[in-house]
Amino acid sequence: MKIDNSLPLEYSTEENSLKILGFWIFLGAEIMLFATLFATYFTLENRTGSGPTGAEIFQITPVLFETILLLTSSFTVGLGIHAMRIGNKKAMISFFSITLLLGLAFLGVEIFEFVTYVHEGASIQTSAFTAALLTTLGTHGAHVTLGFFWGLFIILQIKKRGLTPQTTNKAFIFSLYWHFLDVVWIFIFSFIYLKGMM
Amino acid sequence: MSQLFPMKQVLGFVFSILLTTVALAVYFLDMSFAAGMTILLVTAFIQAGLQLVVFMHAGETKDKGAIYTNVFYGLIIALVTVFGTLLAMIWDM
Repeated sequence: MKIDNSLPLEYSTEENSLKILGFWIFLGAEIMLFATLFATYFTLENRTGSGPTGAEIFQITPVLFETILLLTSSFTVGLGIHAMRIGNKKAMISFFSITLLLGLAFLGVEIFEFVTYVHEGASIQTSAFTAALLTTLGTHGAHVTLGFFWGLFIILQIKKRGLTPQTTNKAFIFSLYWHFLDVVWIFIFSFIYLKGMM
Repeated sequence: MSQLFPMKQVLGFVFSILLTTVALAVYFLDMSFAAGMTILLVTAFIQAGLQLVVFMHAGETKDKGAIYTNVFYGLIIALVTVFGTLLAMIWDM
């Protein structure tokens, strides 16, 4: 294994660079996945049947909380990667832990939001609008849930094995995933919530 | 301690918060649908680009070209999917 010391540890071998590029290709496919969900949502958003409309069920407070939580978690995972690059394992683990706690808080608010929707008579079966809405939000939420467990295992592995070309590579790829989830949220926040409440 | 908070990332975060606040104007201020959508499109795409460059380190290594080509490819397919669907299903063209 040829290690290039001029590059950050997570890029230091050919295999590591290829893994990062491969993950970017996966993210390209994820962009397309969410595009199909958005296309479906925009098509069906006014087909509310006898159920509530977006303007009736969307509330700005939980949405703002979710946005701030996810935005901050994206910042802290970035700080975690920076700490990793300067070789500060302790700081990195702290930043990753904060990231996951923020992610967990995000999920808590989102679950609260879903429960509220169902209580207000907007379940996934109510109308074409609620089906498209909850499928889109739910797909994003499922990604965050997966990311939480992924991040947890990354932290455990870094704790056990330290900062090696392998573990830093995994942590960097996880950070790409987490930032991507924030990017998707920006579009959900803008074109589902804010557009719906405008 | 300060070396744990690189200026670039802190500024990126502050700018993201700022863009979110600007986007919120469409909720708190009274404006036309077209004006609101323009604001949302501009703030959302700038913020996505910010994440890509500042936080995801997209342009940092020799794979820069491949990474950006791939992201733009994904983006083009996404835009064609969304606007193609809107054209056919909503705008009736």
